[in-house]
Amino acid sequence: MRPAGLASVLALILLAAVACRPQPPVRLAQPPADRHAPFNYVGTKAMVVAAHPLAAEAGRDMLKRGGNAVDAAVTTAFTLNAVEPFASGIGGGGFMVLYLAKTKKVTVVNFREQAPAAATPTMFREKGDAMDEWRTARGTAVGVPGMLAGWAYALRKYGTKTLAETAARAIEIAERGFPVSSTFSAINKDEYEKLLRNAGEATCYLNQGIPYEPGDVLRNPDLARTLKSIAAGDIDAFYKGDIARKIVAAVHDKGGVMSLADLENFRPLEVEPVLGIYKGLTIYAAPPPAAGGLHILQLLNIAEPWPLKAWGHNSAPYIHHLSEALRFLFADKDRYDADPGFTPMTLGSLLSAEYAARVRNGIRPDRIAGSYPFSRLDRLQDREGNTTHVGVIDPDGNIVALTQSINDFFGTGIVPEGTGFLLNDHMADFSTDPASLNAPNPGRRPVSNMGPLIVLKDGRPVLTLGSPGGTRIFPTLSQIILNLVEFGMSLDEAIEAPRFFTSSANGRPGVLAVEPRISESVLKALEQMGHTISLKEPYDKYFGGAQGVMILRDKHVIHGGADSRRDGVGAGY
Amino acid sequence: MTDRRTSIVRLVVFSVATLAARVPAQSPQALFEPPLLITSAGQSAEAVIAANLAKRAELPATLVKLATDKDLRDRRTLVLVIGASMKGLGAAGVDTAKETGRVRDLLAEAKRTATPVLAMHLGGAERRGELTDELISEFLPAAKAVLVVKAGNKDGLFTKICAAHAIPLFEVEKSLDAVELLKSIFKK
Repeated sequence: MRPAGLASVLALILLAAVACRPQPPVRLAQPPADRHAPFNYVGTKAMVVAAHPLAAEAGRDMLKRGGNAVDAAVTTAFTLNAVEPFASGIGGGGFMVLYLAKTKKVTVVNFREQAPAAATPTMFREKGDAMDEWRTARGTAVGVPGMLAGWAYALRKYGTKTLAETAARAIEIAERGFPVSSTFSAINKDEYEKLLRNAGEATCYLNQGIPYEPGDVLRNPDLARTLKSIAAGDIDAFYKGDIARKIVAAVHDKGGVMSLADLENFRPLEVEPVLGIYKGLTIYAAPPPAAGGLHILQLLNIAEPWPLKAWGHNSAPYIHHLSEALRFLFADKDRYDADPGFTPMTLGSLLSAEYAARVRNGIRPDRIAGSYPFSRLDRLQDREGNTTHVGVIDPDGNIVALTQSINDFFGTGIVPEGTGFLLNDHMADFSTDPASLNAPNPGRRPVSNMGPLIVLKDGRPVLTLGSPGGTRIFPTLSQIILNLVEFGMSLDEAIEAPRFFTSSANGRPGVLAVEPRISESVLKALEQMGHTISLKEPYDKYFGGAQGVMILRDKHVIHGGADSRRDGVGAGY
Repeated sequence: MTDRRTSIVRLVVFSVATLAARVPAQSPQALFEPPLLITSAGQSAEAVIAANLAKRAELPATLVKLATDKDLRDRRTLVLVIGASMKGLGAAGVDTAKETGRVRDLLAEAKRTATPVLAMHLGGAERRGELTDELISEFLPAAKAVLVVKAGNKDGLFTKICAAHAIPLFEVEKSLDAVELLKSIFKK
């Protein structure tokens, strides 16, 4: 799966527990000058975490104006479209996990893109050597966008504000502009060729035809106009009106097969979460086709009996055992991951104690297994993580974990004429093997690596998490959970701690990618066990950009943790 | 002329001569001729930016990201855009060793054919990392002139290397500012 920009808005409301006692005013400390130094944003009533300060603030301000977690999540998500357009927007899709405080219920809204009705299992394979381009940067790469439909559904059913009210801040920012960050500039440069080819030199996603430098102001009046028309005409303005015609025209212009009927017929789904228990914690996650949550639960099931604490955080045995487990899990990803709307999935078996024991039995303590049966991971799908995650907790205790994306940074680079938003390339998350359970088919949703989750302890929410990062999402979130539970780290310590990742393909082990903050002696020991080490940057966005909110009931505070690997921040009160 | 005035004049002339020897000329003058061959050292996206800048400066240029010696034929200037990108290297199907070897061979051919080299670093501060710095240290001394976006020279690495090899260093605030500079350092 191609990495998606995850915007996780996590707003956690702990107010109910705190309201009974007089509390001193919250003094929000300033983040440290070293942005990599762990720093927990603190609130007592509410918190929003997101991958851009303007987006997090927009969500917080919505809460302060009386909106609930869903209102704030959608506000943050809209704003991310304006300020982090390379990672998500109305041209994409995602998943929202909601905890409803009144009913104590967890539910999931699936607004993952769908394949157009004209999609076929061989649509990419038949492109031969040009397959990768048709999967990522041509019209055939575009899945039917689900973002707006998902947001609107969640607002109608669980929110209190209108689409117009939640879009207001995004409209303002798109009109007035904002200074781009170093992260934006670097990504803009990386994707320059694609933007030149598909969006054109005059696009607002380039600064007079050249990538933005940090501090340059990006204005997007076309996006502002588009959002205003959606504010006035609700989602019909997008799925049925002039915008829909422009989407179809842009897709066809680049060789795609989407139709107006595809857009008109798109519907989000409300589904039950997948859940599992790890050491007294109940973890609720978006179910397939969002595979991240499933694989997190599988990995934790496998790891549970191991003496992780005794081994030590990021020690050689710790990394070795988890890495081997990952390789076995990836062996089954391609075999079993699918859209359950079309293909029954054996979740019970995948999450069973027997499955976990079988994987553990295949792991040697002193060296790599070297062979991982059933592994058929498509190497083309191992791309950068370009998704965004948003977390929100509101004063009533409602929680939203929202992960959304347009897949690769800047998606396809295709901007429907005059609309200002980018179209996704999520069709690349389908397998190119026509026989795969995850092959493109009409109306099918491609398997996603997204893994937004909410954790309850003794029936009460304590944590919500999510991250971008493609195939690295579930290993990253698993490591964060283990950092918190096994090693007692604070939320942002757990997020900033060094990460590792590996996979397998065709039965063979992938390299073990690590952040070089893991000690050299550990890396040497791992090499002696047979791992091939690949060093990344010390804080590499390859491993995602996690956001989380944690409720510390004993301290009557809420912590927001935001990953310095991207531009994550928290905004609470 | 009095002895005192003569001494002052000698002192001024000596000072100017000394300064001129220490600090390479910063004011643009035509140092290069078109047509250009633009290539990357490290496969970052900035080579594409350089090609766009050359187009805006109305300089005939060919971008070949993995240029070899045969691409130098009929080119009067080699533009080497330095910046390492693991993503770019992966997309090009080369590793660091292969990329470094290719650029070495290309520079050897440029030297053999007396083709001057304009080295560029357009990535700013966020494009400076260990691998990029290694490429800068190795390849910059082969340049006849260097053009950098200022933010990428905060630590003075380019200044240091250029001063050591008496190479003119041109700094611009932003990539777009390089268009006018390119117009002035290339002969029409």
